[in-house]
Amino acid sequence: MHITLVKKILASGEPCRKCRDVEQRLKDGGHWPRIDEVITADERDPNSPGMRLAKDLNIDLAPFFVVRDNGAVTIYTLYFKFVKEVLQSNHRQSDADKELLENNPDLDFI
Amino acid sequence: MDPRQATVNHTPQQVLKDALSRYEQGKIAISFSGAEDVVLLDMANQMGLAVDVFCLDTGRLHAQTYRFLETVRQHYNLDLELLMPQPEAVSELVRHKGLYSFYEDGHSECCAIRKIEPLRRKLDTLDAWITGQRRDQSVTRTNVPQEQEDQAFSTDEHTLIKFNPLADWSSADVWSYIRTQGVPYNELHDSGFVSIGCEPCTRAIAPHEHERAGRWWWEESTQKECGLHAQNVIKIVD
Repeated sequence: MHITLVKKILASGEPCRKCRDVEQRLKDGGHWPRIDEVITADERDPNSPGMRLAKDLNIDLAPFFVVRDNGAVTIYTLYFKFVKEVLQSNHRQSDADKELLENNPDLDFI
Repeated sequence: MDPRQATVNHTPQQVLKDALSRYEQGKIAISFSGAEDVVLLDMANQMGLAVDVFCLDTGRLHAQTYRFLETVRQHYNLDLELLMPQPEAVSELVRHKGLYSFYEDGHSECCAIRKIEPLRRKLDTLDAWITGQRRDQSVTRTNVPQEQEDQAFSTDEHTLIKFNPLADWSSADVWSYIRTQGVPYNELHDSGFVSIGCEPCTRAIAPHEHERAGRWWWEESTQKECGLHAQNVIKIVD
């Protein structure tokens, strides 16, 4: 299994808040060694590796994870889903629900 | 694109009838918000279709909305299911952050506890659900189809279908239906409220404002609407 984390640099040059949060959570949870590769999607540079990969995969949300395993490629845009299914680690359901809401703004209005 | 998303231009009644014929009772339900989506209940009622109805009771709704829920329950003789948040989660949030933390650090934490968790708990028991989502409600809804696989709540083991019978309708269409059919409606609408949610997070708007201006107005519009509808998990190669 090969895991790639794609994190974003904002047009302002700052790292995106959620990418920082995800990286810290991975480190705090002892999962950081499981990440084989980290590449950057720099909004100031459409040719940056992360921007190109995101375009190829039709993903416009960061951070995201690309998991390659025995010829299968799976993309996770939800951190907590990635943690549960790939890292097989537990998490607080309320954190996962919050992320689900933030990634699906339509649910705001249910 | 999911081929089901190409199913457009049916009337809301056709979508409702089709949905309810494809799923047995107990496996499909209408999500009623306590606002204009009451028209879905009226349509089902007029067609004589039995349907389960649930509503998210966050504990922070307006008194007018609770009265409206009761009016609707009696008017349609509904067995209205109110979904409530886990008390432990609400208690923990309030104990540590107070009753109005959303004004300080955004509404998603509170909404996750009061809406998403009970909604997910309910949807885990269903194969399909029906919402009142319309394309004209928000920039995040401009592509809402009448039928779609629910990417937010489906899992590898459980595919959930979401029907949006009102997707093609405008707010004017909804209100025309309410007026002509004599459908009961939330009295807050008479006071300038358009999109109605929890009391602390909803306000009346001016006629020229978009209906979503009445929700979470203290947050940047980009924070409210910048999310994407990207699929949670996308299989590229099998």
